[in-house]
Amino acid sequence: MSDAVATRAPTDWKTGAMQQRIRRRYSAERRFRLLGLGAVMLSAGFLVFLLVTMLGNGIKGFTQTEVRLDIDFEKSALFIDPAALRGPSADAALAAADLEGTVRTAASSQYGAAGAGLLSESAWLRVREAVKEDPALLSRRATLWLPAASPIDIAAKGEGAPEAERIHAQLEGRNAVRTGFNWNFLTGSDATDPAAVGIWGAFKGSLLTMLVTLALAFPVGVLSAVYLEEYAPRNGWTDTIEVSINNLAAVPSIIFGLLGLAIFLNVMHLPRSAPLVGGLTLALMTMPVIVIAGRNAIKSVPPSIRDAALGVGASKIQVVFHHVLPLALPGILTGTIIGMARALGETAPLLMIGMRAFIASPPGGVTDPATALPVQIFLWSDEVSRGFVEKTSAAIIVLLVFLLAMNGLAIYLRNKFERRW
Amino acid sequence: MKQETELGQQAGQNIMMTARNVSVFYGGKMAVNDVSIDISKDDVTAFIGPSGCGKSTFLRSFNRMNDTIPNARVEGRIELDGEDIYASGMDVVQLRARVGMVFQKPNPFPKSIYENVAYGPRIHGLAAGKTALDEIVQRSLRRAGLWEEVKDRLTDSGTALSGGQQQRLCIARAIAVDPEVILMDEPASALDPIATAKIEELIHELRGRYAIVIVTHNMQQAARVSQRTAFFHLGNLVEYGDTSQIFTNPRETRTKDYITGRYG
Amino acid sequence: MRNPSLSLTAILLLVLGLGLAGWFAARAKARAFARPGETRPHSLPSYHGWYVLLWAVLPALLFLGVWSSVSGGLVMQAVMDSPAAANLPGFEMQRQAIFTEARALADGTKTAAFNPQATALAPVFAEATTRYTIIATVVALLLAFSGGAFAFTRVSPGFRARTKVERLVMAALLIASLIAILTTLGIVASLLFEALRFFSMVSPIEFLFGLNWSPQTAIRADQAGSSGAFGAIPLFWGTIFIGAIIAMIVAIPLGLMSAIFLTQYASATVRRWMKPLLEILAGVPTVVYGYFAALTVAPAVRGFAVALGIPGSSESALAAGLVMGIMIIPFVSSMADDSIAAVPQAMRDGSLALGATSSETIKKVLVPAALPGVVGGVLLAVSRAIGETMIVVMAAGLAANLTINPFESVTTVTTQIVQLLTGDQEFDSPKTLAAFALGLVLFIVTLLLNIVALRVVKKYREAYE
Repeated sequence: MSDAVATRAPTDWKTGAMQQRIRRRYSAERRFRLLGLGAVMLSAGFLVFLLVTMLGNGIKGFTQTEVRLDIDFEKSALFIDPAALRGPSADAALAAADLEGTVRTAASSQYGAAGAGLLSESAWLRVREAVKEDPALLSRRATLWLPAASPIDIAAKGEGAPEAERIHAQLEGRNAVRTGFNWNFLTGSDATDPAAVGIWGAFKGSLLTMLVTLALAFPVGVLSAVYLEEYAPRNGWTDTIEVSINNLAAVPSIIFGLLGLAIFLNVMHLPRSAPLVGGLTLALMTMPVIVIAGRNAIKSVPPSIRDAALGVGASKIQVVFHHVLPLALPGILTGTIIGMARALGETAPLLMIGMRAFIASPPGGVTDPATALPVQIFLWSDEVSRGFVEKTSAAIIVLLVFLLAMNGLAIYLRNKFERRW
Repeated sequence: MKQETELGQQAGQNIMMTARNVSVFYGGKMAVNDVSIDISKDDVTAFIGPSGCGKSTFLRSFNRMNDTIPNARVEGRIELDGEDIYASGMDVVQLRARVGMVFQKPNPFPKSIYENVAYGPRIHGLAAGKTALDEIVQRSLRRAGLWEEVKDRLTDSGTALSGGQQQRLCIARAIAVDPEVILMDEPASALDPIATAKIEELIHELRGRYAIVIVTHNMQQAARVSQRTAFFHLGNLVEYGDTSQIFTNPRETRTKDYITGRYG
Repeated sequence: MRNPSLSLTAILLLVLGLGLAGWFAARAKARAFARPGETRPHSLPSYHGWYVLLWAVLPALLFLGVWSSVSGGLVMQAVMDSPAAANLPGFEMQRQAIFTEARALADGTKTAAFNPQATALAPVFAEATTRYTIIATVVALLLAFSGGAFAFTRVSPGFRARTKVERLVMAALLIASLIAILTTLGIVASLLFEALRFFSMVSPIEFLFGLNWSPQTAIRADQAGSSGAFGAIPLFWGTIFIGAIIAMIVAIPLGLMSAIFLTQYASATVRRWMKPLLEILAGVPTVVYGYFAALTVAPAVRGFAVALGIPGSSESALAAGLVMGIMIIPFVSSMADDSIAAVPQAMRDGSLALGATSSETIKKVLVPAALPGVVGGVLLAVSRAIGETMIVVMAAGLAANLTINPFESVTTVTTQIVQLLTGDQEFDSPKTLAAFALGLVLFIVTLLLNIVALRVVKKYREAYE
């Protein structure tokens, strides 16, 4: 049969059929390549679209429309002794005065019957702060810029209902409306009125939670990584620990929430909604990430370093704490930051342990009721009022900026300290 | 340099491929320096030389496999049957079908033995139907001397074969496309002596049907399988001639030193 | 020292100060005998220092830890025994309110009380707090001092301080690594315990195979068992529909093709920029995706459905699944990337040398060779998708529909867990406990998926090593 083969003519590549076949193959190649490019572009496009949507919605959350209000304190029905405002009794003195009513009256007299509706429900708080700052106001006529009610705010940003748009145009005609940076959004806490909400309360809650998480997950994570990588004997126990850690890293976050609810709240009776419990729960979730990153970093320190240290008579502990850990530290820190960034964006476990309450003042400590930034986003996203849309997106921008900063720091650390052995 | 060029050009009749003033660069580094050589259709040509002398790099420029290495660059002219293979109109896919290659480490695809051999004819559309494909597979495996060993287990994975069998499978895979030239890059260096002997025997049998170029660092192997031998050193072609002449009566002292084991 | 937390900090600082003093003293003592000419002491002076410090600090800390958990009760006891507490109202809630106010008055967080009884109780509170704080301070300092002194007497040239300190460090390392096991046990125990309580009220058969899910009908614990509304099949289906079907239809082609393009075609520069960019998709918090799904994608999907003439709801499986698919793209693509990169270069060269084009090589050689790794990656992605909570909570809806219409609303396991456990909870109702049963199922399924996936990937890696 090999004789039959020998007589076979070699392939003629020049025939028309062959040439056409080659052309088809090349166009298939181009199509496939375009398909790949398309997939990358589409994926990146999703990201860009997501960011642009959030940015487009959220950027307006950082500005606030204010309405001018002239209050004649002298003629108003307020009875406050300016002297009482200097000193510790100021709060009590102001609490007794009907500032809210004063503002409402002033608005009605200035802008007609619906005047009070132009201002945010919390506008009088701004008046209170102003009076506290300058008690002399009480004896004269003052012009104050107060936050507008949410419909007016939206109209000012060009998306309001026709009615609100009309009122806004009128106000503009009277030069009684302006738009400024919404400082209150960065310094305030949750509120029922979208014009008055701020993220500081939620942010502080996140901060305290992260502190607890870091304080627990970092030492425990690093120590376990050191143990597993440097000292653990090869036996069943070690295998169990390793399997546990690898599995924990893949357990859905909501399961950690269930654990927190069952153990920390129902068995240990720690305070509900507290950053302490949130931090504990997230620490359990973050620890495996740190252990795995730590082990990789420790593994990449070459054995020659250990041999050299052992060779000059260092004990095993000294080898690790004087040589291996300092060299592995950048890698461990990178892993820790990435784990913390993940924890910062985590919502579901915190919902389970009750950090979704309405908290109108920032928490003072780790045992106070608090909420966290992502949970705040979730809560606001559920609000019906339209004014919350831009606030939710604005809060998302703040969260993303922090996550970006943390990841950027991690990448910077990795690039700066990465060492090739 | 002049002398080397002359050396290269003196070749047998029936020339299959010619290289003229070929240099290969990796980035800024020159790996092959101005080499000219003719490859005869009827002979087995061996490239020998110490490791890192550029012989493999040079071999890979014959079917443009250097294209797959980022920032590799080839200068000079290489012709297949009078056609410049680096010309813009040259189709790499067709070129590689005409100039097959067998690699240092056996690299069967993780597919069945049948599929390994059928892969080339399939992508090039060389078989009209199932029967024709069966025939090509059987013929290629026979020529590679593997048919008797694998005919009952064509559906087994190609990676399940022994190293020597894997390498013969790779040769069968190359033959299946019906190439004009087969390039072999140290085809036996990863094999045991018995498998090596089989490969050498196979090369012997394939001689004449295909132009064969084999890179080897094993001088005995070059002496056993080739009719023409080229000796490379530091990217230069030092000497090219009949194998018997190179091994018995080298003209260059460098060649002599290498062959007698002074370095390498 | 009116604020108890302040005084605790003060005691801690005192104890640490004592420890530090011990450290310096012991090191000085050890230095003194580490003179040249004499036999070299076993441990460096600083190890003696650490030894003394640990003896001074640890017992005191241990005491303070225990103390902080019992001191509140002790103070309470003292207040209750005082004559001022004799005529408190019997009603528990009122009493608690008064106590809270009195405590706030005592530690200075409040200046005036609403309830006069609280004002009367405040001095008693303050007095008891002060008394116990003093006791705690004295005991803690005594412990710190005696511990430190004991350790200090042991400091001598022959004393193996380093060995002792290192043994403690080793113990700390071991304890730290055991926390992972404890966490796993904690998860299993809490899920199992609560789930078993649930199954004592609702039969597991009904839970696992029932077609009707409507926990809200179980208004009261005693009638729940008969309501028959805990059939979880619609939840399982919704979870699979969104996480394993719709999301994967988006993520697998996009992730795989992205990985192929970035590894095989893209230039080094493009790869260096696009790869981290795609990974950002995995780093965006899920609550952001949820909001995106609810705000932008769901209305678009609904509009699309209406344009097709299908009645769409504002919450749909498709919206949640699409967005989850986008989130999963980087998981699939990075696993595919790793798997394709692990296919030996020789395989690629072998195919190219036969005259195959790049796409032929990829489709017929690289991807089939990398398939086990890709499949493992997809399994990991599925496990991640079905455990994902916020996207489905915000975009998938609550209606437990058993449907294959992607424009309809379905609900998932995680959505229902959140739904069941937020708001007021009574811990014995099957409604609350059902969340733990769902959690148990979720835990087991994701665990199995992960184990299988990791095994597949590991086998695959070994094949090319």
